[in-house]
Amino acid sequence: MNKTETLDFLKKLVDRAIAFGFEEAEASFSSDSHMEINIFEGEVSSYENSNTSGIAFIGKKNGQMGGASTSDFSDESIEYILKSSMENCEVKDDEDEDFFYCDPDNSHLVNDERSGHYDKNTYNRFSQLGLKLEQDILAISPDIKAVDYLSISCCCGPTYLANSKGLTMYKDGDLVFVMAEARAERDGVVKTGGHFWAGHNIDDFDEAKFLQKVGNKVLGKLGASSIESGSYKVVLDKEAFVSLYDTFESNFSAYSMQKGLSLLAGKEGEKVASDCFTIREEPMYKDALLKFPFDDQGVITYSKAIIDNGVFVKALHNLKTANKEGIPSTGNFFKGIKASNLVVTPGNKSFDEILETVQDGLYITELNGLHAGVNRISGDFSLFCEGYLIKNGRIERPVEQITVSDNFYDLLKKIEEVGGDLEAVEEGVGEYFCPSIVISEMNIAGSNEEEG
Amino acid sequence: MLNDSVIERIIEAAMSKTADFAEVYEQESESSSVRLLNSRTHDAKSHRGYGVGIRLMSGTNTVYVYTCEKSEEALIKLAKDAADALKGGNPGAIKELEALCRTTPSLIITDPLKVSKKDNIAFLKEASDFALNYDELITQVASSYTTSHKIIRVVNNEGINALEDKSRIRFTLEAVATKGNEKQTGRLAPGSMRGYEFVTEYPMIEKTTECCESAIRMVNAGYAPSGKMPVVIGNGFGGVIFHEACGHALESTSVGIKASCFSDMLGKQIASSVVTARDDARIEGEWGSYMIDDTGRQSSNLLLIENGILKNYLVDDLGARRMGCEPTGCGRRQSFSYAPTSRMSNTYIDNGDSKPEDIIANTEYGLYCTKMGGGSVDTATGEFNFAADEAFMIRNGKVCEPVRGATLIGKGPEILMNIDMVGNDLALSAGMCGSISGSVPVTVGQPTIRVSSILVGGREEN
Repeated sequence: MNKTETLDFLKKLVDRAIAFGFEEAEASFSSDSHMEINIFEGEVSSYENSNTSGIAFIGKKNGQMGGASTSDFSDESIEYILKSSMENCEVKDDEDEDFFYCDPDNSHLVNDERSGHYDKNTYNRFSQLGLKLEQDILAISPDIKAVDYLSISCCCGPTYLANSKGLTMYKDGDLVFVMAEARAERDGVVKTGGHFWAGHNIDDFDEAKFLQKVGNKVLGKLGASSIESGSYKVVLDKEAFVSLYDTFESNFSAYSMQKGLSLLAGKEGEKVASDCFTIREEPMYKDALLKFPFDDQGVITYSKAIIDNGVFVKALHNLKTANKEGIPSTGNFFKGIKASNLVVTPGNKSFDEILETVQDGLYITELNGLHAGVNRISGDFSLFCEGYLIKNGRIERPVEQITVSDNFYDLLKKIEEVGGDLEAVEEGVGEYFCPSIVISEMNIAGSNEEEG
Repeated sequence: MLNDSVIERIIEAAMSKTADFAEVYEQESESSSVRLLNSRTHDAKSHRGYGVGIRLMSGTNTVYVYTCEKSEEALIKLAKDAADALKGGNPGAIKELEALCRTTPSLIITDPLKVSKKDNIAFLKEASDFALNYDELITQVASSYTTSHKIIRVVNNEGINALEDKSRIRFTLEAVATKGNEKQTGRLAPGSMRGYEFVTEYPMIEKTTECCESAIRMVNAGYAPSGKMPVVIGNGFGGVIFHEACGHALESTSVGIKASCFSDMLGKQIASSVVTARDDARIEGEWGSYMIDDTGRQSSNLLLIENGILKNYLVDDLGARRMGCEPTGCGRRQSFSYAPTSRMSNTYIDNGDSKPEDIIANTEYGLYCTKMGGGSVDTATGEFNFAADEAFMIRNGKVCEPVRGATLIGKGPEILMNIDMVGNDLALSAGMCGSISGSVPVTVGQPTIRVSSILVGGREEN
């Protein structure tokens, strides 16, 4: 089906749903094409190719919304999604009303981000690039013994949506990814490290830069030992900070606040972080891989500060949470209430200048176990981490077998300085753009008794 | 489902070039779920899915293609495209299809999908209401119920012709206790391949009481200490330590490419002599079970470690080609969207001789982790981390005050050697495990065990 035929199919499904007994209805169709190769020991060890699609439907009855989905487009399956959705509406007793939406000035939304470069993503191109990349990673150092994982993949696919309020939506885009993990060994000690690149155009892949990242991430860990438990000044690497912030991002959603699951409830306009910290949602950020002119409910997005010079500005809303507070939606529904692209306002110092300022402390590059070792509500976390000891303003040596324990809300207030080394980190709905962050002190548990 | 002649033509197309192996995996699924917050149903969903995956191998090179299409024309084209993409040598033979082998690991009296959502909700509401009225510290109660039914058919050129039918139920309840800014959660999340009778027989109010008590205890608890110390890990979900620290590193996904800390260790001692461990996929009705795996092979009750000696790896068919051994029937995948790989099923440390109370009594000082959260592991280095949802200090052989915020970290091979006491109270517990072939249901399990020394990451100086 082409674009017009697909939207017509969805509109007919919505009409059929109204005739079926729903007060309002919304239907969407999405299709996903994916291609991936894996390289192992000089060969294309696996190749994957797929094309899948599905319909998702939501109906509204007696003020309650219920949904169903299917990958089968037969008449029997359409009947199934209508019947199941009706049953789902009937069993719900949500106290807050949910809404379908159509902005009269923006009733036909289109976000076509197809790059025009997708045809370059061929098996031959990927395998040539992958085989060379594997060789080049192994050539970085004799300590690198293997590339345990090397994948090059791409995906594309449109999403269409139509609802009974008159909204139609069309989104399309494509991405290409390169991911590698290397294994190094020295003196019987094994360490692994890798890197991930995402883009629209495989020609933009910068192999030299990628090799440098992989090399630093794996070789830098060799020769690591633990440190003495105690309180350390910490430089959080951009990836580490982003992984932590993203774990607690749901606390910025009005849903969490309204349900008593976020300590930020009622704190709009209050100081929640140190003065030097500003984080903004920039849906159309110029350097972002994905742009978000509207959210999944058809609400037009806009640029806004989440935390401005330490002050929590505004909670993120969808139509439902906004209605409860009698305000307009902030356009933040992306399969849940989330921010699109997030940008931490950078400072002026380079990474080396940050180390110089810190003098003695810990540079944390990876936080592990974020799905388990955190209390999302209270903000407490205790995490396995990796990084480097900083002495006299320089990286001294890698550290291992340590944990860092703190509280997310306390940490925001302990941000001492924000670096100028802004970089994209692939995490969340879109991306984060974040520099290195200096934390005045954090609790570290290590197993070393002698030094620190 | 596709008929035999269509599947045979797909296999012929797949093997028309250089494949020495071709497989068709077909899947039909249906699921139903509800979610409640504070006894209100805020989410109700239903889903039906269908898909076909075609896998080709030549030596250790694989091609995997998948689609939601049912038409023979589309599937044959996909198989031919896959054959074109495979780099290999001589094509293999196509054996005659064996008689269809039908299996199920489920034990069903009442089909869960036939029970109305109203009944599912009534069950959760009763427990949620109970929890909300249990104590004024309990401020929120979230709960959910999901049931799914999946039929898989696997046919390959070696004659395998298998169909497995599986039904699963899982429900969860989380009670949140609040004191000032501090919130702590008590959880239950049982899962089963039994029928709806699993739900009606479950002691929901008793278990909900335990959740509330745990949340209240933890919200009143101080922080755990930091440092190396003996750690006693409770039975049931405590087995996540073994799953993470050892199980993943025994999968041929990493062993087959020598990327595991346990590569080339078969027959050698990798754990202390009190440790015997199994991966048993054949326990009927258990959450992580299957009678045939997702490559159509019969599953097994596999002895992994016996008295500390490594006896077997978990090997799928690709791993078997890499390692030159037989597959153990552990090829699993989340759905047709994933090529299968070696995975765990019901994995546990077997009963030892010690009584749990003797393990505590023999511990002068340490941490007693009664409820474990999740964790993760790097299978190459063996480094793991996992969180304790509920823990107590042990002093002079007695369980003392509760402590929160403890994370255990270490290296798998060292921890296994440091297990010095194993209890006789084995219990299994349901979980989900993520890996390169997606998220699959598994159970973890163990009796109460003691590790002589683990690094505990807490907030207080030891």
